[in-house]
Amino acid sequence: MAEGEPTEGPITAEMRAAAQALGWEEGLLERAIDWGYSPRTVVSALGTKLAPAQAKSFLDREPLKPDLTWMDAPTEWGVRAEQADADMGLTVGDIMVGSYGEIPDLWTDRTEIARGSNPQLGQEDMGYTIFEKAVVWTDSVADLYERAIRDRWAPATDLGWRSLEALPDEVEKAICQVMTEHSERAYAEASVLGRWLPEISYGFVEMKLFMSSVIYDLARHAEAFRKRALSNGGGLGLQAPTDLIRGASEARTYPELMAYLFVQDSAFLTFFRHAGDIAQNQLERDLYALVASDRERLMEYQVERFEAFLLAMPDRREEQQRYLAKAEVRLAREWNDPAVREPLILLLGGSRENAAAGEAALTALRRRQVEEYLGHLDKAGFIRSRLHSGLAVYLEEPETAPA
Amino acid sequence: MSAAPTTPELDLSWLDLYDDPTSAEPTKKGLTLDAIDIGDYASQEDLPRDMTPRLRGATAREDAHRMGLTYNTKHDVWADQCRSLYEEAVQRQWSSARDIPWDTLKELPDEKERAMCQVATMLAEVEFIAGDVPGQWLPHISGDEFEVGLFLMSQIMDEARHTDVFRKRALANGGGLLQQGAGLGLRNLIEAQDFTEMSVLMHVQAEGFVQSMFRMGELIGPTQADKRIFRMAAQDESRHLAFGVMHLKHVLSETPERREEIHHYLDKAEDRSAGGGSGDVTFPPVFESLCILLGGGKDRFDEGVAKFLLLRRRQVKEYLHRLDVAGLGDRRERLGSALAQYAN
Repeated sequence: MAEGEPTEGPITAEMRAAAQALGWEEGLLERAIDWGYSPRTVVSALGTKLAPAQAKSFLDREPLKPDLTWMDAPTEWGVRAEQADADMGLTVGDIMVGSYGEIPDLWTDRTEIARGSNPQLGQEDMGYTIFEKAVVWTDSVADLYERAIRDRWAPATDLGWRSLEALPDEVEKAICQVMTEHSERAYAEASVLGRWLPEISYGFVEMKLFMSSVIYDLARHAEAFRKRALSNGGGLGLQAPTDLIRGASEARTYPELMAYLFVQDSAFLTFFRHAGDIAQNQLERDLYALVASDRERLMEYQVERFEAFLLAMPDRREEQQRYLAKAEVRLAREWNDPAVREPLILLLGGSRENAAAGEAALTALRRRQVEEYLGHLDKAGFIRSRLHSGLAVYLEEPETAPA
Repeated sequence: MSAAPTTPELDLSWLDLYDDPTSAEPTKKGLTLDAIDIGDYASQEDLPRDMTPRLRGATAREDAHRMGLTYNTKHDVWADQCRSLYEEAVQRQWSSARDIPWDTLKELPDEKERAMCQVATMLAEVEFIAGDVPGQWLPHISGDEFEVGLFLMSQIMDEARHTDVFRKRALANGGGLLQQGAGLGLRNLIEAQDFTEMSVLMHVQAEGFVQSMFRMGELIGPTQADKRIFRMAAQDESRHLAFGVMHLKHVLSETPERREEIHHYLDKAEDRSAGGGSGDVTFPPVFESLCILLGGGKDRFDEGVAKFLLLRRRQVKEYLHRLDVAGLGDRRERLGSALAQYAN
């Protein structure tokens, strides 16, 4: 508007009517303009329908002057993460740049602070107990996390539920027993891992992201196995043995937990890799393959974390033998549990009548599980000095039958 | 050479456990948890709980270990629709790497980039604890209510994605992380000593406040990528909120005597923080950055303040509405003073 032109002022009739309708104090609009508020701000305030008292406390005073010191927080600025692989998108690995990609050997901040941001003095201790990188970390966690998201699947819709056909009664029951067992095992492991999340400090956020994806994977495995048990004329069988998972929940430290779970994670991965041998249909083959694919990521973490841990803390190497031994004892015991062993014999043999062949096939599977377990340890740079006899027995050559 | 593994004779007693042959039918949404909630395997009020890892419907082992204390009644943890919320979570997982149009990020005026990075810094903190808290409660949920556990496991994944997407945002457009948040209210969540206390404070209050903010993402986010981040995160938060509201409703319906106890938790949380676990939007760096984004710049800070007041009103009104839906409509009369001023 040109200078000198007559004006009704910055307050329009509509603004007055709106203020009146809201019960705002007479003269408040004028005073707001006098204080220095722009008409646009007054209109915004009217738009929010502030109550009279709120409107007065906002507009009948000198406008707030922002402090803005946070803008100069002494953090690394000017970061523009680039996508390394367009197919993967902007990954967690891509943003591990500059100081934001530095994972300290010892994280010292006990508060809820995003690693790389500027600490606010006086924050509460959040009660984390894990501050050492070597305890939880491996460099592949960011990649494993993104792979978990990329490879996600949904049990409800990614398996051919409508393709299921009736199976011989004993075969269906054997499948249901296997499903009951592994549904519980997956759920219980997720619960145990979940309990450890609040122990891990923000310094290792990428590792926690990955562990969250593991928990979610295990949830879907528990769900999928249960669905299979309840979808083809069977049901749930006997609950899984509890020795193995109970040992995991007894762990006093994260390294103990991981060493202990190393045994079962390895054994189950091998089992699912080869579970196509017990599958009765395409749905089960697909299910086992998807589960195995998820468990591969977990095992990759297990092997790499263990290797890094042993390198960083060689004095704790011998201690790990104990945790592994504890898990091996329990695993061996559970392998001999009738409700664990016999369904596999039936499925591998094809029927009760062919149990001998089923037993032989199961022994071969157990041998493979033990070999791969030792292979995983070997990859982590660990020699298992005293493999429990209940597992070692599977590595021995069967006695030559007398001529 | 020692003998090959001995092979005990087959026992096969595990074959005799199937009284109720079950064939769940897939639905239009596939084979869902609702579809398998049938017969003897369906969720029930008064199942004998044994504190072992047994999931509902499996035959108990006589020698099973207990795994520590779990809730002994369904209503302590249950939320109607938790099964469908879990299924929705599985179907609607998204990728912060590929589902955000990162290429739409554009160079922003320095003050706006800093404001967005400050908001992202605060949210990267808030979402971090939102994953820890459900993890803490998993071992306390009986296998008879395993669906609640599955839902919490899906929430852990959601919160991981939120932590990661806000961190990515801060580091993707020439900025960085800025000032740590106030932290007020966050400890409330991890301090909870009861599942319902946790759920009311985290799902209903804290995530509710965050959700109201996400739903103003169209106003807050300066780029298409930012707006999309807020939209996708809001979609997840709405499930967490729905769980909390439905759980509270269930608790108040089944155990109305807990009403005052629940008010007490809210009294404490509302007194302690104006943000109530939401990262406290009144903390100056967060308040100022939101005002800059809402107003459209430092020189329009006042306008941003006016819109910020709208955000606070929405947060409080929606909070009260959710409590009303859950059956706690009388919260309006005893709202903490920091929130009550926005309740009109």
